[in-house]
Amino acid sequence: MGNILLLLIGLLFLVGVLVPFIYPVLKKRTGVVLSVLPLVIFIVLLLELLSIGSRESIILDSTWGFLSGMEFSYRLDGLSIIFGLLISGIGFLILLFSSYYMAKYDRQPHFYTYLTLFMGAMTGLVFADNLFVLFVFWELTSVASFFLIGFDHHLEKSRQASLQALLITAFGGLCLLFAIILTGNITGTYRISELINLSIHLGNHPHYYLVLSLVLLAAITKSAQFPFHFWLPGAMQAPTPISAYLHSATMVNAGVFLLLRLYPVIGGTMAWKYLLILTGGITMFLGAFLSMGQRDLKRILAFTTISALGTMVLLIGIDTPNSIKAAIVFFIVHGLYKGGLFMIAGIIDKSTGSRDIYKLNGLFRGIPVTAIAALLAVISMAGLPPMLGFVGKELVYEAQIQAPGISWIVLPLGVGANILMVAVSITVFYELFVFNKSKPVTEFKYHERQFPVTFLAGAVLLAILGLGLGMSPRFLENILSNALYYIQGHSMEIKLRLWHGFNQVLMLSIFTILCGVAIFIFRKPVNRVISAFINWLDRYHLPTLFTSVINYYIYLASKNTRRIQHGYHRFYLLTFFVVTIALISLQQFRITEVILPESGFSPVKWHVALLLFIASLSVIFAVFARTRLSAILAMGVIGYGIGMLYLFYGAVDLAITQFLVETIIMIVFVMVIYYLPRFAILSSKASRVRDGIISIAVGAFVTLIVLKAQLIKPDSRVSDFFVENSYTLAHGKNIINTILIDFRSLDTLGEMIVITMAAAGVFSLFRFQIQRLKKKEEEASHVERFEKQGDD
Amino acid sequence: MRNLILEKIAVLYLRAILIVSVWLLLRGHNEPGGGFIAGIIASTGFILYAIVYGSTAVEKLLRYNTRNWIGSGLLIILIAVVLPIIWGKPAMSSIWMTLPDSISAYVHIGTPLLFDIGVYVSVIGIILSIIITIMDVLKWNS
Repeated sequence: MGNILLLLIGLLFLVGVLVPFIYPVLKKRTGVVLSVLPLVIFIVLLLELLSIGSRESIILDSTWGFLSGMEFSYRLDGLSIIFGLLISGIGFLILLFSSYYMAKYDRQPHFYTYLTLFMGAMTGLVFADNLFVLFVFWELTSVASFFLIGFDHHLEKSRQASLQALLITAFGGLCLLFAIILTGNITGTYRISELINLSIHLGNHPHYYLVLSLVLLAAITKSAQFPFHFWLPGAMQAPTPISAYLHSATMVNAGVFLLLRLYPVIGGTMAWKYLLILTGGITMFLGAFLSMGQRDLKRILAFTTISALGTMVLLIGIDTPNSIKAAIVFFIVHGLYKGGLFMIAGIIDKSTGSRDIYKLNGLFRGIPVTAIAALLAVISMAGLPPMLGFVGKELVYEAQIQAPGISWIVLPLGVGANILMVAVSITVFYELFVFNKSKPVTEFKYHERQFPVTFLAGAVLLAILGLGLGMSPRFLENILSNALYYIQGHSMEIKLRLWHGFNQVLMLSIFTILCGVAIFIFRKPVNRVISAFINWLDRYHLPTLFTSVINYYIYLASKNTRRIQHGYHRFYLLTFFVVTIALISLQQFRITEVILPESGFSPVKWHVALLLFIASLSVIFAVFARTRLSAILAMGVIGYGIGMLYLFYGAVDLAITQFLVETIIMIVFVMVIYYLPRFAILSSKASRVRDGIISIAVGAFVTLIVLKAQLIKPDSRVSDFFVENSYTLAHGKNIINTILIDFRSLDTLGEMIVITMAAAGVFSLFRFQIQRLKKKEEEASHVERFEKQGDD
Repeated sequence: MRNLILEKIAVLYLRAILIVSVWLLLRGHNEPGGGFIAGIIASTGFILYAIVYGSTAVEKLLRYNTRNWIGSGLLIILIAVVLPIIWGKPAMSSIWMTLPDSISAYVHIGTPLLFDIGVYVSVIGIILSIIITIMDVLKWNS
């Protein structure tokens, strides 16, 4: 059963790449057709969820991989199934939703490609059993989200937002890569299943704090935790379906997933606890607080997401079995209501053309079904019965009360954030759906009846699911205990109930709701205070700060580049030669043996001597040449001379190549020579003396090296290997060729890429000039034609 | 001014040099030759053609523009590199077809030959791309 999952993840990528070819056939049905794929994944996972035991994990091995130790193997356990279910389930609804929402957008094939790849990357990320594979998918989600956030790339704002998201999350990705390599070096394996089975914990290793801080950086950048939270509100520049998907089940939740996944390896220490509690606590409260002062529905939701993610991170940091359980339940709760609410925001946007909650009024009239779904979602967000949100919030309170030693600070923060959440929930629903005489009546562009079922299905289904799971949370018990077994290493019985009885936690809930209602009633003065606070905060506006840091970095880089890449060819050569001589002479002093070979030199052949004589003559001629053409020709003679030398010593391939390259260079020279500036000796006497000294020194040093090379006797000669194996292994008698295209083909590949870049460089240097020339010609011919017409 | 003799020579030279270059490419595995050399030799034919007939004519002769040639060459190299993975070997290892002796006495067919063909195609593309670009900029017989 599970094996089909391997196939399905691969299929997601394949289909994603093929969307541009599928789209012309399916046109507007593309979204609906594509949605079949996540639906199948969802069903497969649901069957796995029902069949998996509470202490069982399934490893799916595919022998295929890029490198050894990087096999694409997947693991199914409680944690990955829960995440996978939300990703595929919400992904299915999002695809349905976007098939109508995106209908009027350009570049739909792009959209579906990015979205499907994103879905595939996210699914791969949660099921990966190999840390490197996890990293590859992690980076893919960053790249895909970059394209999705910047989908309206004609707007400056969305370009900026997507770049910001990419820079921050890719920075986290690099940290993750580093952490993975360190972990692999310390433990000797990249397999998560092996790490868990051998119960390896890095806590006592000297590099532990480095690994921990790198993983935490990766997680808090991805999950938009304080102080990196600011990219998430910016990311709502994305089309609404993307925001819904990004916030509810994917992307930002990947950081939370990473923390849970690596918990057995690095979690549970003091540093882990305090760092996570600190960042999670601040983010939880800040997100809830800032969401009060906003007007845009999507922006409000974005800040509540930040708050919810902070809650999850905080719960992971509290580090008791109860708190981890609460974190996972809260993830499910949040995914269900946030996905629904974002889709509702999209529906409202489509039907009225606005998302400003203070301008919209009495929407119940036009979109009653959506309003009911919104009511359920908002109740879940506020944490009221009978939704799953209530179960989640009770667990959160319980975990916060039991937090060892830090309950006194965690609990007030949690309750405060929840009070604000309740207030925000009531405000949003009240402003949107309840008719208010003092506000202008909202005009509907579309009524709900005019929308297709697929457009409304997402919000309604998620709301119903939240209600259903709230009524019977026992459904989740088995999978949760499986997840906890693999996170914390010991199994515990889990009981989820909607009604806990009359206890401390319930009292807190009632207190929270009362305070929330109070804030709602006095929302005007509260909003004023918060707006003032936001205005004050804007002076330390993090996105602007971030942009200016990046800009300064670019400025510095270009300044340094200008210093190094000054554009004077002679100084490049000068630098190159001087550095080479310096390095060589350092080495030279270490070998103090006699330079001259003991056996003396081999007898000099007269034709070689003649050749050398001619070449030396042409060098001298080139140095003192009065015209450019003669200098070039003299250089050509040297080149051909070297080619002949190769030939005399039996290197036929080298000789042929040398001759041909000389010929091509000659042709190019002859082509451009007419256009070069007049030949003149511009350099001063001093600089010529300097150049002369340097070139003589280079020559002398090269001669010394050649002489000294005789002294070095490597143990095994590489050339012998090639001689012996050329025919048996590479089926070729020409050793040079077998080396080039078989034994060392990686080098050849690299060289090909280098000369391709050279060609691209020439082309791009001249392209604008060619275009300008063509334009001028066209204008000239146009004028001519015009004049002719005038004559007629 | 047209030079009929030169034009004829350019065409004949191009044809002859292309045959020579393919011969060099195939023999390269056992005797001097190979993709790089064959590529340069073939491009000299095209360069002479370009000098006589102009850069647009040679672009027409090549059918696809030179950048596509470079790309196709690199693509062939990539295929030659990746192909062994299908047989379960690491990338870049060589795979040879077993052929009857009558053929394998002259040429072996396998991924290194494909690699060499890729080098051949991209070298032609690279040299011509540079030369044609320079010719266009200088309006050299275009």
